[in-house]
Amino acid sequence: MDLKKYEKLAALNLSEEEEKRISKDLTDIINYFEVLKEVNTDNIEPLVYTKGAKLFMRKDEKQKSLDKELLKKNRELFNSNFYRVKKIIGD
Amino acid sequence: MDILNKTAEEVASIARSGEVSVKEIAEQMINAIKQKDSKIKAFIHIDFDAVIKRAEELDTKKDKSGVLFGVPIAIKDNMNMKNTETTAGSKILSGYTSPYDATVVEKLKNAGALIVGKTNMDEFAMGSSTENSAFFNTHNPVNPEYVPGGSSGGSAAAVKANEVIASLGSDTGGSIREPAAFCGVTGLKPTYGRVSRYGLIAFASSLDQIGPFGKTVKDTAIMLNAIAGFDPRDETSVQTEKEDFTALIGKNIKGKKIGVIKEVQDFKLQEEVKNSFNDTVKALQNAGAVVEEVSIPHLKYALPVYYIIAPAEASANLARFDGVRYGLRVEGKDLKETYEKTRTEGFGTEVKRRILIGTFTLSAGYYDAYYLKASKVRRLISNDFEKAFSKVDALVLPTTSTTAFKLGSITNPLQMYMNDIFTIPISLAGLPAISIPTGTDKKGLPIGMQLVGKWFAEKELLQIAYTVEQELGGKNGI
Amino acid sequence: MEYKPTIGLEIHVQLATKTKIFCGCSTEFGAEPNTNVCPVCLGLPGALPVLNEKVVEYGTKLGLALNMRINKTSTFYRKNYFYPDLPKGYQITQYSIPIASEGFLEVKTSKGKKKIRILRGHIEEDSGKSIHTGDITESEYSYIDFNRSGVPLMEIVTYPDIETAEEAYEFLVLLRKTVRYLGVSSGDMEKGALRCDVNISVSKGETLGTKVEIKNLNSFRSVRRALEFEINRQIETLKKGGKIVQETRHLDERTGETKPMRTKEELNDYRYFPEPDLPPLTLTDEYIEKIKETIPELPNEKEERFIKEYGISEDYAHEIAASIEVAEYFEEAAKLTGKPKEVSNYLMVNIMKFINENGKSIKEITFGAKEFKELLDLIDSKTISKNIAKSVLEESLSSGKTPSQIVEEKGLKQITDTGEIEKVIDEVIKENPKPVSQYLEGKKQVMGFLIGQIMKKTRGKANPKIASKILIEKLNALK
Repeated sequence: MDLKKYEKLAALNLSEEEEKRISKDLTDIINYFEVLKEVNTDNIEPLVYTKGAKLFMRKDEKQKSLDKELLKKNRELFNSNFYRVKKIIGD
Repeated sequence: MDILNKTAEEVASIARSGEVSVKEIAEQMINAIKQKDSKIKAFIHIDFDAVIKRAEELDTKKDKSGVLFGVPIAIKDNMNMKNTETTAGSKILSGYTSPYDATVVEKLKNAGALIVGKTNMDEFAMGSSTENSAFFNTHNPVNPEYVPGGSSGGSAAAVKANEVIASLGSDTGGSIREPAAFCGVTGLKPTYGRVSRYGLIAFASSLDQIGPFGKTVKDTAIMLNAIAGFDPRDETSVQTEKEDFTALIGKNIKGKKIGVIKEVQDFKLQEEVKNSFNDTVKALQNAGAVVEEVSIPHLKYALPVYYIIAPAEASANLARFDGVRYGLRVEGKDLKETYEKTRTEGFGTEVKRRILIGTFTLSAGYYDAYYLKASKVRRLISNDFEKAFSKVDALVLPTTSTTAFKLGSITNPLQMYMNDIFTIPISLAGLPAISIPTGTDKKGLPIGMQLVGKWFAEKELLQIAYTVEQELGGKNGI
Repeated sequence: MEYKPTIGLEIHVQLATKTKIFCGCSTEFGAEPNTNVCPVCLGLPGALPVLNEKVVEYGTKLGLALNMRINKTSTFYRKNYFYPDLPKGYQITQYSIPIASEGFLEVKTSKGKKKIRILRGHIEEDSGKSIHTGDITESEYSYIDFNRSGVPLMEIVTYPDIETAEEAYEFLVLLRKTVRYLGVSSGDMEKGALRCDVNISVSKGETLGTKVEIKNLNSFRSVRRALEFEINRQIETLKKGGKIVQETRHLDERTGETKPMRTKEELNDYRYFPEPDLPPLTLTDEYIEKIKETIPELPNEKEERFIKEYGISEDYAHEIAASIEVAEYFEEAAKLTGKPKEVSNYLMVNIMKFINENGKSIKEITFGAKEFKELLDLIDSKTISKNIAKSVLEESLSSGKTPSQIVEEKGLKQITDTGEIEKVIDEVIKENPKPVSQYLEGKKQVMGFLIGQIMKKTRGKANPKIASKILIEKLNALK
């Protein structure tokens, strides 16, 4: 398993030591998944939603949005109410 | 009057009568917590002043009819409560102030409950011992050298230690039932869809379900009455008729069919757990139930299925923790580095491990072999249960194969995952299940048995569980 | 053998609902940053999406109007990637089964009609907006507004049936007309309500060439320019023996050239999987039927009917049917007056000119079908001439007065009273002995001059036919 590739996709950057540790665990865990190969799943539909699941649709009606004071409790806003991040490379 | 030993049912009735004020109840609870929690460490956040203030408000209320009126309740820290810190046991959310209430929090408030504080948990509910909390370990009140189980370890411990009367946990693969068993309290995981997940910080969305811990089966039923029901803010909550989950409690279970799962015998059980299982079967038979064997042929595949599906969903659910809008932010030289630093420092090892597994099993070239395959086997497991339930009314099996283990004694993740071997299959099918204390091992550690009901048949499940509880000794198990 | 371009479009249509796709926040454009946000569209921990029924209605409607099959069960997926304007770290979209599949639009181009097939139409949520202050390359920060996060979109993906920039342009124009007819989107490209990405390759023969994507085209003109440039660039490159690189380009609006976008060093593995928070969307036959009934006659159908039913010119029919409001205006006036050709003429020449010059919409003008009838009746009854009619129409458009009011007030009534006209003619004959004698000598062309004199005296109100008839009679009598 190319750990670096998945770190990148998951926006993680593990230290070498952590990589070593996790790498072994992941190999063991993924090997453990192999047992599923013995199950015949031909013509079996995947199950994502359990019993009784039924989509409900809401009316197109406005609801109160969040007060910006509540947003500010968790992050400073800039230039009249924008979130701010360091520039996106290559953008 | 000492209310610490009382059940939720009793406390609500005392508070309602005015015999003891809610403020006094609150003070008793606060004293208990101050006394005990430095050892148990069940709570992450607690604001005593706010609790007293809320208690005073409840005392001035004219309408005291709420089913949980004046009952001190703790909630797991993955449930949002407006204007309080909600961390899900993670450093990445430390200091996060929630701007809204989870539906269950609203419902508890509406039921007159006194929400005392937020309990410790494995980070993002990933774990079976609460040792994955970013903050500290919680200790098993029965023996502080032992884990309380997890991930809802704080909620289970708080009830066991009489720091609160009841609590809420969340269960994805066993996170209510396993700590209930380890601590010797009753823990109910409702049918998936029974309780709204709105405001519950998601771990694995297709599996997460909120449920109560209590000292008795009846208390969990009362708690479920307060929190259950369709919520237009959660598309996976199911529209069902309103029902009283205590309605069948005390009714005899003569002629009920109870299944024991053949494949459970393939797993090694701790001797005392095995004995307690046999006691439970006998108790059921004594009460007039018919016990017969059923088969769940795909049982042994449940664990790998779970450890593919849950991390896959988690890898997406935890992508929102990017440091942009809230929570921890570790600034890097550019955005990409900020993301990586924030997430790498903010998440603990187990969380990162699962994010990486999930990222891998969903990735191009592996999706079919892992995620899709697991989802298909999940269907087979669900079908197995459906078949079993065409023959029986409930299933009985141990909650865990062993009693609680010592803090720090399990370091291998796969070995840790094995703790949930009997709870995970039921989660995959979305079935309701309850863990009740049925005995202790020779070290005095609690043993829990799991009863599993049909989909949305919590009422019947609680009826059967109550019978077992009575047969085996009543409140708080043995 | 010639190089042949192969072009496919991916168009994001913003659906005109009041609230977002998964929460009750307003979709209003231009609000103060981060004010139309809530736990759901801000991706706060614990929040869950709840589908807006209007999005499904509009999606179904648009799918049907594009001749697509509505799938009775469609599913939502998560598309995973990190971007600061994507609050959850994934976008909820439809993947394996979209709400609508397999349709087409027939466009008119200078080379005739062409059917362009549509592969799929799926509903999804929009992201927030990143704003850069100052020079993109200089500024250290991006600023993010989540007001747009969760605004509903329907993505329309065509088959690569398009072969020219014109076809692509016409497809977009017709799509915009259609969404406006349906009322499911404003269709304003400038406001981002229509966004278009194109895929283009050129090749000789069957094997397709290397595909280039052009992103972020934000006007109809840009799409056309970008394609014209890119087709040419690719052909020229190949002719010179060069190779086309598979890449994403953008249009430099100043130069009209497409340029490679600086590539982000990121892997594109979106790890799509079923959205566990949203069970499948199921629609009944009755529901689909009900939506079908609400679909109005569409631009192409209307256009053809106008030609057939009203006998108006193809060009006028095309232009009138371009907007449902104009089409409705036309039809009402055509029916009431019974003179569709005249209506189409006045409409396309005078009324549209007024509208364009004054920046008004057809809905805003007071000159409606009733006024049209009045005007045409005035011509019919010979009360005014066609010439006067034009100025009456213009006056009515700008002042809001009715045509009869204007004719009355300004005394524009045509003189049909022969006695009155005779009096004027007598005067003209008396005052112009020279031209009269010239006429009598056989110089018929002086008639024009004499009629002119009559018109001058009556300030244009004499009925020209009657006037010339009487004049000839009177002149002949002098012989």
